[in-house]
Amino acid sequence: MIRIDRATWTYAHADTPSLRDFSLTVAPGEFVVLCGASGCGKSTALRLMNGLIPHFHEEGTLTGTVTVSGLSTSAAELDEIGLHTGTVLQHPRRQFFTDTAREEVAFAMENLGFPPEEIRTRVTTTVAGLADSVPIEQRLHHLSGGQQQQVALAAAIAHGPSVLLLDEPSSNLSADAIRRLTATLADLKGKGVTVVVAEHRLRYLQKLVDRVFVVRDGTIDVEWSAAQFRAVPDDVLAREGLRGTVRTAELPTLPAAGPSAANPVPADDVPSGALELAGIRCRLGGRTVLDLERVAFAAAEVTAIRGVNGAGKSTLARVAVGLQRCPGTVLLDGEAVKPRARQRASAIVMQDVQRQLFTDRVEAEIELARADVPGAPDAREVLTTLDLAHLADRHPLSLSGGQQQRLVVAAVRVCDRRIVVFDEPSSGVDRRHLRSISDQIRQVAADGSVVLLISHDEDLIALTADRQLTLTPVTRR
Amino acid sequence: MNTNLLTVRSPAGTTRAPRLDPRTKILLVLLVSMVVTGPDGLRFVLPGLLLAAGLALWEGARRRALVLCVAVATMCVLGWLLPLWWPNPLTAIVSLTCTYLIRFTVAIGVGMHLVATTSPTELNAALRAARAPRAISVTMAVMLRFFPVVAAEAAAVRDALRLRGLTGVGAFLCHPVLSLERFTVPMIASSLRAGEDLAASAILRGLGSHRRPTALHPPRFGRPDLVWALLTAGLATAAIVLPTPLT
Repeated sequence: MIRIDRATWTYAHADTPSLRDFSLTVAPGEFVVLCGASGCGKSTALRLMNGLIPHFHEEGTLTGTVTVSGLSTSAAELDEIGLHTGTVLQHPRRQFFTDTAREEVAFAMENLGFPPEEIRTRVTTTVAGLADSVPIEQRLHHLSGGQQQQVALAAAIAHGPSVLLLDEPSSNLSADAIRRLTATLADLKGKGVTVVVAEHRLRYLQKLVDRVFVVRDGTIDVEWSAAQFRAVPDDVLAREGLRGTVRTAELPTLPAAGPSAANPVPADDVPSGALELAGIRCRLGGRTVLDLERVAFAAAEVTAIRGVNGAGKSTLARVAVGLQRCPGTVLLDGEAVKPRARQRASAIVMQDVQRQLFTDRVEAEIELARADVPGAPDAREVLTTLDLAHLADRHPLSLSGGQQQRLVVAAVRVCDRRIVVFDEPSSGVDRRHLRSISDQIRQVAADGSVVLLISHDEDLIALTADRQLTLTPVTRR
Repeated sequence: MNTNLLTVRSPAGTTRAPRLDPRTKILLVLLVSMVVTGPDGLRFVLPGLLLAAGLALWEGARRRALVLCVAVATMCVLGWLLPLWWPNPLTAIVSLTCTYLIRFTVAIGVGMHLVATTSPTELNAALRAARAPRAISVTMAVMLRFFPVVAAEAAAVRDALRLRGLTGVGAFLCHPVLSLERFTVPMIASSLRAGEDLAASAILRGLGSHRRPTALHPPRFGRPDLVWALLTAGLATAAIVLPTPLT
């Protein structure tokens, strides 16, 4: 079904190949997992299989041959390969081209010229299958991460491809959503679809895999059969930078009062804290998205903010840092603080850190952060601490994702802000980087800040957070 | 109004809100843009405003209708009344600017209805049905999908700048070029990154391929198109026949 023969691929402007002498054969109906540390080349291998290499990334250099369903991916048109393959990228919400599940499911069939009657039949069947777990009439960006994943999967396979390619499908999913994903993949395997998954987390696929390949430095380093993989202990996976069993984070619950709290307590039972929110009622787009009577966050602690999409996690963070105005009171160290003052006391480390790199040099980024902070450490000193000193003269946008994140965290620490929010900081990272991100968050908390961690990553929450506040959508109660 | 105009039973068995055919919306945008920016275009500004506000109300966007009316009223005051009350070179420049801006405001108002109520796939299907070249239909569909991405990224960058204390009139006036650079560079970088995933996913699913696309809901003219065409014709006739307050 898939045959890659000694493929070597170098992206344009890259010094070294992302894949070197990469060979892999996947039989029809087989379930294969490619795993390895971040940047090892597993996602690049998927791009070889769906033809994005060399058709979409045109300027790189490719040697070797790739054949999928009898088509040479170099010679065939992308839509021809697309007829035989379905791809789900790492961030489903970024790949949606339409607003609704129906339109998204129909999208590939429309472009590939299926007869309208057949499209309607398949859409109706697919949507009926999704309806149990996904509110079909809701706009796609209002769905939870797990529901978006379900829609993206359905959209990728609605046109009946024989090969399904998934790039880190479990990143950003909660343990429950991962269980649903596993069931869907088992169903597809049962129908004879050939599945290739690039992943860090592995144990949830244990009962499905036929073979597991560990990719290192652009080539296959280790191959495990299903039986061998099941016998591999978690510490061996850890040495490879892989995540084993998905942990379920069990943390003490932060007491909170109000309809938005999943486990509300009476307002009088909420203890004081460095950051207190009282009477927060936030309405956006005609509906109440956050209704908290009282909640308090302690300084020098990491509080995980959890809940499904639409539960108000981002709104809570935006209210806390002063970006969202709404009725209610916010107290910082016992004093009521207005939104503009809260902005000056706060920082966010965004999921996409490129949005917050403002200068043309790494060192200038730190200089900008320390500009108004008396007694701030020297920029070089900060960069040396974070192992970024050798990159001081580089443009921040030329750094790797991990380096950019470290730089933004460094800037936040230099700013010395009282409230720091981390928004999904571990999306798609391997075990080693997970530990590094966790350490950085803990250091920010150790500096005395109130740290709010918005994340679906149970591993990160278990590793990092001291408490958890679970929110629930107001209207659903 | 006939209830059939309020609800449309789609072929897939779902109830959809009534909408104009995308081709009608494109025609309205082109028509209004041409007449308001053409010679004697001010004559068509108020009818164009009525059309834009009417479409906004029909789609349920009351706030947009209000903003459009307030914007046009403000420009009428600044462009026509202010120079009469307080004639000087500055108000003359403001007046001249408003006489042009008011035309664009009306055209953009009608365009906003197109953007807000048309999905990229509907637009693509409509343009293909109108026999537009693939290069135009795909480009328009991608643009329509990419606008919200850029808007979301711009809002996120603005938030990041606010938290770093890098926004405000003072900062902009002191370092206008630097302020623009600090906003545009991260916005472009993050938009491109988001756009790359979107483009890869769309191309893999056949967007822009040489195949002739089909549609889940093939575009079809209906009664709403007829009603709005008649309303537009009525407004255009009124604009030509009746005297205009804006000259």
